[in-house]
Amino acid sequence: MSELRTFIELGFRHIADVAALDHILFLCALATIYRLADWRRALWVISAFTVGHSITLALAVTGLLALPTSLIEFLIPVTIVATCVENLIVRDRTRAPWGGRYRPMLAGVFGLVHGAGFANYLRALFVTPIAVPLFGFNVGIELGQLAVLSLAALGLTLVDRLLTVVFPNPLRVRIALVSTIVLVVAAHWALERAPW
Amino acid sequence: MVTLRIAALALGLAGPPVAHPLHTTLTQLEYRAVEKTVRVTVRAFADDFTAAAGGVADSMAARYLRSVVTLTGRDGRPLSLAWCGVRRTGDLLWLCLEARAPASGLAGMRIEARQLFERYGDQINIVQASYGGGREVSLLFVPGDHARALP
Repeated sequence: MSELRTFIELGFRHIADVAALDHILFLCALATIYRLADWRRALWVISAFTVGHSITLALAVTGLLALPTSLIEFLIPVTIVATCVENLIVRDRTRAPWGGRYRPMLAGVFGLVHGAGFANYLRALFVTPIAVPLFGFNVGIELGQLAVLSLAALGLTLVDRLLTVVFPNPLRVRIALVSTIVLVVAAHWALERAPW
Repeated sequence: MVTLRIAALALGLAGPPVAHPLHTTLTQLEYRAVEKTVRVTVRAFADDFTAAAGGVADSMAARYLRSVVTLTGRDGRPLSLAWCGVRRTGDLLWLCLEARAPASGLAGMRIEARQLFERYGDQINIVQASYGGGREVSLLFVPGDHARALP
């Protein structure tokens, strides 16, 4: 039980940390298109992200998958940029392919990349048997994500309140504002981490 | 224009690109009943540890490790930790310390694992104690934590 608790705390601390800015910004980029009333759709997307990163984390920790760290560190900001571009391009998701329901799939695929990022630091430090540490770490990551998203929802609601003063449709402006800022930061990281 | 200004602001905030390292070590504490010893094995990334210890030569590694990992018996007396070597696998170091075990075994012993705290504010040190007989306990140390008793 103490082992499970320890690895839950490790996973939580890994996400709920300023140093985890790349993952936090990715979550913000995923969540920024949703209103509070859309929390179910947001939860689907975040859960798909969790499934994705759990798969690669398990594969990498068990030694079934080995990816070069430099490539993963480059791909992580690329996933953030791609999410922001999708936020900015698709204005009406009801007219988007599959009614916009491709987003959970996108988050799942991008989760595969982020999971490989976690794994590169954990692979060598896990002990056998790894089932409990792996499960605990994933639970901790999920709890950390929920904490980050709760704070993001609060922040985005405040942004909406401020924007309402000037703009009749604050959601669209909020999406453009948040996505643009995150996109620029992530593009900067991607360029700096480019492996060539 | 507004977007450009936002972009410039964001770039200013972006700072240096920071990958997202997990600063973690794993310390395994094993009670060896036959030898009546406690073996401490610390797994750490070689680059981090070498930078903290000033090198990976036995004397440097042992001096540093003994300054940050402490074991205290139930009677409050610190255990004398002898160096038992280091080996490297890939980018990991396996560092070994050993002490004569108290008669009571690991129960009630206090441990402190402060390695790399002086380097990284987000350093996390996991300690796994094996009492023998399949009983195990895990503890987690972060900067600011003090010695803790094994149950």
